Amino acid sequence: MGSRSARTDTGPVRRVGIVAVWLLVAFNIGVLLWMLLAALREHTAIFREPWGLSSLGRFGNFVKAWSDSHFGQAALNTVVLVVASSVVVVAVSAPASYVLAKTKTRISGAMAVFFALGIGIPVQVIVIPLFVMMQDAGLVNSLGGLFVLYVALSVPFTVFLLIGFFGSLPEEIEEAAAIDGAGALRTFVQIVLPVARNGLITALILNLISLWNETFIALVFIQDSGKQTLSLALLGFLQTQQYSGSDYGALFAGVSILVLPMLALYVWLGRRIIEGLTVGAVK
Amino acid sequence: MFWPFLLPALLLYVVFFIAPSLASLWISFTKWDGVGEMRSRGIENYKILLGDSAFLGAFGYTLLILVVVGAATFVVSFALTMVLRDMKGKAIVRAVMFFPYIVAPVVLSVFWGFMFSSDGLVNNAWHAVLGGTGPNWMANHLSAIIMLGLTWVNTGFYTTIIMAGVDRIPPDLYEDCSLAGATAWQRFRYVTLPLSWDVVATAAVLWTISSLKIFEFIYAFGGTTNDMPPLSVWNSALFIYGSTFGGRVPQYQFGYASAAAVVMLAAVTVLVVLLRRLLRREAVQF
Repeated sequence: MGSRSARTDTGPVRRVGIVAVWLLVAFNIGVLLWMLLAALREHTAIFREPWGLSSLGRFGNFVKAWSDSHFGQAALNTVVLVVASSVVVVAVSAPASYVLAKTKTRISGAMAVFFALGIGIPVQVIVIPLFVMMQDAGLVNSLGGLFVLYVALSVPFTVFLLIGFFGSLPEEIEEAAAIDGAGALRTFVQIVLPVARNGLITALILNLISLWNETFIALVFIQDSGKQTLSLALLGFLQTQQYSGSDYGALFAGVSILVLPMLALYVWLGRRIIEGLTVGAVK
Repeated sequence: MFWPFLLPALLLYVVFFIAPSLASLWISFTKWDGVGEMRSRGIENYKILLGDSAFLGAFGYTLLILVVVGAATFVVSFALTMVLRDMKGKAIVRAVMFFPYIVAPVVLSVFWGFMFSSDGLVNNAWHAVLGGTGPNWMANHLSAIIMLGLTWVNTGFYTTIIMAGVDRIPPDLYEDCSLAGATAWQRFRYVTLPLSWDVVATAAVLWTISSLKIFEFIYAFGGTTNDMPPLSVWNSALFIYGSTFGGRVPQYQFGYASAAAVVMLAAVTVLVVLLRRLLRREAVQF
């Protein structure tokens, strides 16, 4: 062992480790590239040589996925639904998180824990009563109903996340506002919200991502293909392939339509996304 | 301003989370298809569950995923953390490994399925390197394929969490270690692990909760909107869906599936409480 320093450790185990890490990185990038390239290839070519690059340049796959498989309609549905529900859930959760973070009473502490419990409840556990409830309200198989569910089901995580952000804001901000004679509502809207902008944007992005990828609720509550979201359209596309013969080129074009927006968001705001998703565990 | 600020979120939460949880408990004591009359059934549903091989299998697979994928993910994540700790390009590596975590599970599942399909990427490589045709992964090893895929998806997330915990350990402790001539294992065992323990414990609770929620990644192996994957890879989430809305001929067994839901909720609660108890350690000051 001797006097080898921890910082300049170059043992064989470590070298193997470094190779393994880069292999994993290469694998992940390879997966992404392969899916995007397959989306531009012809079906039989993908099967003949899945590792090859022949017949590249089939943009027709995208046209096929977009028009034949309802991906166009689904993309529109998803964008509107996901943006609207993310904005609304942040708008509803922000005031609640703010008072829970800033009020130091026994009840606010208990409330914060009460909300956090919701994160532990799998949605499959409550889906039956939710279905009955939404059916009674005439909101099954409707995008409006899906919007309500998306907002409500995102509340616990968003409240939990935002309590952390509001809790880390310095007290002096509100004290200064109070000295200026601002009321609670004005203080919140004009002073606290702008200062907490970073946290709110993170909460918005994390909700955008998780709702964009959401499949289970949509699967249960939506039946018409015209009301599908993108992930449902992808599942539906798998199904049509069973009847009309599979077309992996178009399938991966559909996959790309689902993945590319998230990839763009990730390249742009990756750091913030990673920190936002892991902050709860690390604190 | 406490209540007016709190009320909208609280109302949504109570109406869409707490009330349905209680309603699930209530429905679990009945026989009901959601439309017709609701008939009280006592604990009959629970008795049937205990003898239902489909449910027991699903519950077993849920626990198998929890333990096997959890153990694999944490071992790999720790190993990666130790390698990444003072590696060049660590931020890029972390970002690339994290990415699958934010991709729709349906997409990952479609890709994973293609990779292991009979003439997919793996068997093509198999043919090129070893010759002959590779195993029929999807028919004979589906459960293992799914667990491998889940480990791949989750590693980036848990590596990030564990890295954040390990990064907080003061570097001079490692210098002390090297002065004392500690081996890499001793360094890990006596410095890294104890000092990042609270982060590991939180991550373990997080994994327990999220592993029970796994649905889409497995479901998409059924191949369509309506077809369930083979019974052998159902977990309890799929079991609930399969006995109510799922499949070509939905069963709508609301009472029976609710009993399964209640068991699932009880399992989450017990597991989380147990884990917290098990992983509790004196906080190490540093």
